[in-house]
Amino acid sequence: MSERCSAASTVVVRLENVTQRFRVIHERPDTLRELFSKFLRKGVSYHDLDAVKNVSLEIPQGQMLALIGRNGSGKSTLLKIIAGVFRPTSGRVRVEGSIAPLIELGAGFHHELTGRENILLNGLLMGYSKEEMKKREQSIIDFAEIADFIDAPIKQYSTGMHTRLAFAVATEVDPDILILDEILAVGDTAFQEKCFARIQDFRRAGKTILFVSHAMALVARFCDRAILLDKGSIIADGDPTEVVSFYKSLTSPDLRRPNKSRTNS
Amino acid sequence: MTYRGTGPYRQLARFARLELLDLTELVREIFRYRELIWALALKELKVRYKRSVLGFMWALLNPALMMLVLSVVFSTIMRFSIPHYAIFLLSVLLPWTFFSQSLSYAVESIVGNGELIKKVSVPKLVFPVAAVVSNIINLLLSLIPLALLVVGMRHPFYKTWLFLPIPMLALIIFTLGMTFFFATANVYYRDVAHIIQVVLSAWFYLTPIIYALDFIPQNRQWLFKLNPIIYVINGFRLAVYYGMLPRWQSIAASFVCAFVALAIGFGVFRKYQDEFVFYV
Repeated sequence: MSERCSAASTVVVRLENVTQRFRVIHERPDTLRELFSKFLRKGVSYHDLDAVKNVSLEIPQGQMLALIGRNGSGKSTLLKIIAGVFRPTSGRVRVEGSIAPLIELGAGFHHELTGRENILLNGLLMGYSKEEMKKREQSIIDFAEIADFIDAPIKQYSTGMHTRLAFAVATEVDPDILILDEILAVGDTAFQEKCFARIQDFRRAGKTILFVSHAMALVARFCDRAILLDKGSIIADGDPTEVVSFYKSLTSPDLRRPNKSRTNS
Repeated sequence: MTYRGTGPYRQLARFARLELLDLTELVREIFRYRELIWALALKELKVRYKRSVLGFMWALLNPALMMLVLSVVFSTIMRFSIPHYAIFLLSVLLPWTFFSQSLSYAVESIVGNGELIKKVSVPKLVFPVAAVVSNIINLLLSLIPLALLVVGMRHPFYKTWLFLPIPMLALIIFTLGMTFFFATANVYYRDVAHIIQVVLSAWFYLTPIIYALDFIPQNRQWLFKLNPIIYVINGFRLAVYYGMLPRWQSIAASFVCAFVALAIGFGVFRKYQDEFVFYV
């Protein structure tokens, strides 16, 4: 316990009053013709949407943090801000240590390239050198269990093989901060267990993990801390079991609401 | 307090200094991400030639077959009064093809990699640069059939071939600048990718490629000399066909055009690159 506290002393991710505003343009002019027609009708209609609203957050090293919330609550936007994909509209972001800047596992894969070529390309996209990737290639292939297919184009892979390779690449490069965005739903039970084992290894090595999931059982089982987002703001932060039960208490009446309104109308 | 002036020269100096900072950043970033750029360029070539029986050979065969067609058409059917017309033509057609191909590929490079840009934090400039790099490989490969043609047609193989890296450098810089500009524009207005095709074909006929600048009446030549790319590709024809070196003014003009294109193109790209992710 005391070990965790000492590890928790350094903050690796710090967000200060971060806001991400999207301009939702209604029928955004995508072509010049549309632009001209909009122009003639005087101006483009839009509204601003704060996908993340004034969020301040500190994540200490070694923590496994779950982000939960309904669809559109800002979880992925927040992850993308931390990963550096979005530059926030306002506020400050500080990230210390290497971060696997992949939001979706396997985002950098190209289906015409072979598994081996994709390992290299994905690694380079994450900012690692060719030399480093060559060194880790074999252990990635071993972990993903796709030795027979490694030189085949990945469009021939099954979904499971694809996910295994993606997970292997993302975790084998050994980032200080790992982002897992709803990935553990795929793969068979045996591989899932292998993934959990690897995540535990990461935690033992003092790495920080950001975890987005709708699987509340996993959140409660694995995470040290959970954050509940709603409409871009943090509305609960703390012990995963408590946050999850709070979230459930919020969502259950919500689920019934459509039925209610239907009977009313 | 001393009067420090804000005259046009001062403004110009400030602008030049800013652009120079941009360009050093560009060089630094290209160097830093060289492995990624190279891997992306190879990926592009691999995907382009994938599942064709001859694969990479097409990079050689394409210009070779084009040369065959052109030399048949122009030496037997149309008959210009230019000896070794195929060499006359190809010496600038190859760099032009590099330019137009790079532009057509790179204009889509940001939008085409949109899914990636939305998920990975990666410097955006690697995509247009990789598109240009893959075409540099093509350009270098296409010089092989040109050299074979020169030998085959018993055209003198001039020492001035050794000079080619100089116009090539200017051409690459010029092309990079144009691709940065149009790749940015295409993020906001997808029409750009279509417009560029029309512009390129008009530009092709307005540039002395299938003809020589001398064919234009003297009093109209100044108009053609406003076209920046003629300075950039002129060196190729002089070196390969005439066995001459361009005058230093012409070399200077080509590099001025190249760096102005790069400064404007990259300046625009850099200004908007953080917004790309919201529009792709």
